[in-house]
Amino acid sequence: MDFYYGLAQLVGVHTLLGLSAYIVLLTGQVSLAQAAFFAIGAYVSAMLTVLAGWHLVPAIGVGALLGAATACGVGFPALRVKGLMLVIATLAFGEGVRIFFFNFDYQIAKGGIKVGPLGGEGFRQIRFFPENGWSTAEVMLFIWMFALLVMLMLWWIDRSRYGAVLRAVGEDDMAAQSVGVNLTAVKVSAMTIGGAIAGIGGGLYAHYTTHIEHSSFNVLVATFAIAYPIVGGLSNVLGTLLAVIFVQGFLVEGLRDLGDWRNLLFGALIVLAMNLRPRGFLDAATLAGIARLFGGRRA
Amino acid sequence: MLELKQVSRHFGGVRAVDGLDLGVKEGEIFGLIGPNGSGKSTTVNLIAGIFPLTSGTILFDGADLGALPTHRRLQAGIARTFQSIRLFGQLTVWQNLWVAQNSPADRAKRGFYARWLGGQSGVRAEIAQLLEFSGLAHKQEELAANLAFGEQRRLELARALAARPKLLLLDEPAAGMNSEEIAQLRERILSLRQRGVTILLVEHVMELVMGVTDRIAVLNFGQKIAEGTPAEVQASPMVRKAYLGGEAA
Amino acid sequence: MLDFLQAVLDGVLFGAIYALIGIGFTLVFGVMHKINMAYAAASIGGAYCGLLVLQVMADAPVWLVFLCAFASGGLLGYLVYLTCFHFIPLSSPLATLMSTVGMLLLIDEIIVHSTDGRPQNHPAVFDEVMLRAGEFSMRGDLLFVFAVAVLCMIALLLLLYRTRLGLATRAVSQQPVAAQLCGIRVARVNALTFVVTGLLGGGAGALIGASVGTLSPLLTLPLTVKGLIVTVIGGLGSVPGAIVAGLLVGGFENAFQLFRGVTERDLYVMLLLFVFLVFRPGGLFAARGGRD
Repeated sequence: MDFYYGLAQLVGVHTLLGLSAYIVLLTGQVSLAQAAFFAIGAYVSAMLTVLAGWHLVPAIGVGALLGAATACGVGFPALRVKGLMLVIATLAFGEGVRIFFFNFDYQIAKGGIKVGPLGGEGFRQIRFFPENGWSTAEVMLFIWMFALLVMLMLWWIDRSRYGAVLRAVGEDDMAAQSVGVNLTAVKVSAMTIGGAIAGIGGGLYAHYTTHIEHSSFNVLVATFAIAYPIVGGLSNVLGTLLAVIFVQGFLVEGLRDLGDWRNLLFGALIVLAMNLRPRGFLDAATLAGIARLFGGRRA
Repeated sequence: MLELKQVSRHFGGVRAVDGLDLGVKEGEIFGLIGPNGSGKSTTVNLIAGIFPLTSGTILFDGADLGALPTHRRLQAGIARTFQSIRLFGQLTVWQNLWVAQNSPADRAKRGFYARWLGGQSGVRAEIAQLLEFSGLAHKQEELAANLAFGEQRRLELARALAARPKLLLLDEPAAGMNSEEIAQLRERILSLRQRGVTILLVEHVMELVMGVTDRIAVLNFGQKIAEGTPAEVQASPMVRKAYLGGEAA
Repeated sequence: MLDFLQAVLDGVLFGAIYALIGIGFTLVFGVMHKINMAYAAASIGGAYCGLLVLQVMADAPVWLVFLCAFASGGLLGYLVYLTCFHFIPLSSPLATLMSTVGMLLLIDEIIVHSTDGRPQNHPAVFDEVMLRAGEFSMRGDLLFVFAVAVLCMIALLLLLYRTRLGLATRAVSQQPVAAQLCGIRVARVNALTFVVTGLLGGGAGALIGASVGTLSPLLTLPLTVKGLIVTVIGGLGSVPGAIVAGLLVGGFENAFQLFRGVTERDLYVMLLLFVFLVFRPGGLFAARGGRD
C-alpha cells in the first residue's frame, strides 16, 4: 500500500509542476523555466524547516512567494523575447539556476552534525515529515490538498474572464491588444502565478523525498513540466492531471514489467502521442464531445 | 475628433505615409481610399498605435496620442477591426466578446474583482445586445474558428464595438463580401453612426465607400492627393490618374 | 595574459564544433520556423554509429569512422523529420516541439542502453602533434577539428548559395506558400534540410569524439543547451551568425574556464546569452524582419 501512496505523492507533485506550466502556456509563452521556480521553492522551504526550524506550511508559503517573485522577475524580460527564442532563453535561465545550486553551500551545525545544502552533494536530511511523525498516507493527503486547491483555482480562472483573456493573448496577442488587453499585465501575472504554483510543488517535493540536489531540477524536469499540459491538452486542467497519471503510471508500471526500458518508453510515448493527438488528450473537440454526453451543459 | 498633422511613417527607405494631414469630425463617416500600397493600412495602424510615428502628431479629442500603447488607445475610445480577420479562434463567439469588455464604462460599472474573476452573469445583457446587433445570437457557443466567413466579419465588428469606442477604424471590412452582405454592412455602419460612433472607413470596395461616407480622402504613395465629398472625389482627375495610371501607363 | 590568449585560441578552435551544431539548429529554424530539440542528440547518436565501424573492423581507418558518422547523422536527421515534422500539422507548433523533445529522450536512452551507460573511446586524429607559432601552441587534434569543421561549413555555404537545392531552401525559408506555387516541393525541401543538417551534425559529433577522446550520453543535454545559445546569439535563421557565434562561445567558454573553473564556466556562458538577449535580441546577424 505504501508503494501506491508513494506513487500518489509523485503524481501530486508532478501535477503541480505541470499546472505551473499550464497557466503560462495559455498565454502562448513556452517556458522551460518552471523547473527553476520549482527548485527555488524546494531549496527555500527546505532551508527554512531544516536550518531555521520553521513549520512546513509557512515554509512552503515563503517558497511559493520566492518562486512567484523570481517568476515575476523573469516575466518582464520574457516579454521582449518572442516565440521560440523564449524557449531557449528560459531553458538557459533554468540551467543557470541549476548551476547556481550546484555551487551553493550553506551549512550550519545542528546537534553535532552539519546540515544544509552542500553544492554538488545536494541538500540531505530534509526530515520534517519523519521527525514529526507523518505517515506516508498523511503526506500523500497533504500533497493532494495543495494539488486539489491549485486545480480548483485554475479551474475557476478558466471559467472567469481572466481565463478567457489569457487564452486570447495566447491566440493572437496583437488582436488582444487592440481590444484593450494590457499584454504586460496578463503575461507577467500568468508567469508569476506559475512561479508560485511551482514553488509550492518544489517545497512539497523537497520534503517528501528528503534529499534534493541540482540534478533534480535539470532540463529533463523542465521538459516534463511542459510535456504534461501539452500532452494532456490545454483546454482543461484535468488534461494535465491525466497526462501525469498516464506518464508516471506508465513509467512506474513499465518499471515493474520491463525493467530498465521505461525511460526509452517515455520518449517514444511522447512522439507517438504528439503524432496521434497533436492537440493533446483533452483537446477542445474532445471536451465538447464530453460536454454533449453530459447533456450539453455549457463548457 | 481625430486630427493627423504631418504624419509620417518611414520603414527604412520606404515612405509608407508621408506628411499626411487628415481631420475627422465627430459623428462623421470618413472614407480613406487609394490604390494598393498607398499607405491606408499603415495609417490605421499608426492611429491604433501599432507602430510609432516617424514624425508628426496625432490628436484625438484634442489630446496628443504620443506614444500611448494600443490598449490604452482603446481605453481612450479608439477601436479597430483588422483587414485579415484576427479573431480568437479557439474561443467561442461569446468569449470573444467577453474578452473585449474593457471600456471605461465597464470599469466604472464593475469593480476589479467582478471584471476579472467574476463569472459570466454580470455581462450577459451587454453581450446579448452585441450579439443581437450582429445577428450572431444563435451562434454564441460556437468556436470563432468554425464560423462562416461572413459571420466572422460580423464578429470582428461586434468585438470592436464591445469596447464602446468613440472612434471606430474599419480596415477593409467589405473584402470578400457579395452585394447583399455589403448592403447589410452599409446598414450596420449607418446605424452605428446613429449611436454616436465616428467612423474612419478604409476600403477598396467603391460600392460601399461611395454609398456610406460623408467625406473621403484619397492616398497615393503615402500622401493625400484629394479630399472631399464622394461626388467631388469621383470627379477628380488626380484620383483617376492615381487609380488608372498616367500617360505612361 | 598569454594563458588567456592561449585559452581563447583553444576555445575558438573547439568552438567550430559549436558553430556546426548552431548551424544545424538555425537552418531548421530558418526553413521551418521550428526548433529541432533532438538535433544535438542525433549528432551524438551519429557519432556513436560511426564507432560501429570499429566494432566490425577493429583497425578501420579513422576517415571511415567519420564517414559512417556523417552518413548515420543524415539518416537520423531524416528519421527525426519523419517522426516529428512530416505528419504533425503545422498548426500545432507545440506538438512538434514536444515530439522533438521526445526524440531527444529516445535517442539518449537508446545510446545508454546499447552502451550500458559506459563512455566509449573515440579515435582522435593528430593528437600527438603540437604546432608552435611564436608563444602559442596549437594542439594538432584541435586544428584538425577546426579544419574539418571549416570544410563542412564551406560545403554547406556552397550548397546553400550555389545549388538549386540551396536556392529552393532559401526560397522556402522566405515564403513557403509562394515557393510551393513555383513548383518547389516544400516537403522534400524540408526533409532534405534535415538530412543535410543531420550530415553536419554527425560530423560534429565525430569531431567532438575526436577532440575529447570519449563519447558519452551525458554530452547530449549540455550540447543541446550550448547549441541553442549559439543559435540565439548568432541570430535565429542566420548561418553566418551561427558560425561567428559558435567561435565566440567557444572562445569565451574556455576563457571563463581559465578564470573561474569548470563548475562555474557554464553560468558565465548563460550570462553571455542574457547580455545578448537584453542588448541585441535579434542576435549578431538579425535575420530578415519578422512577418508578425
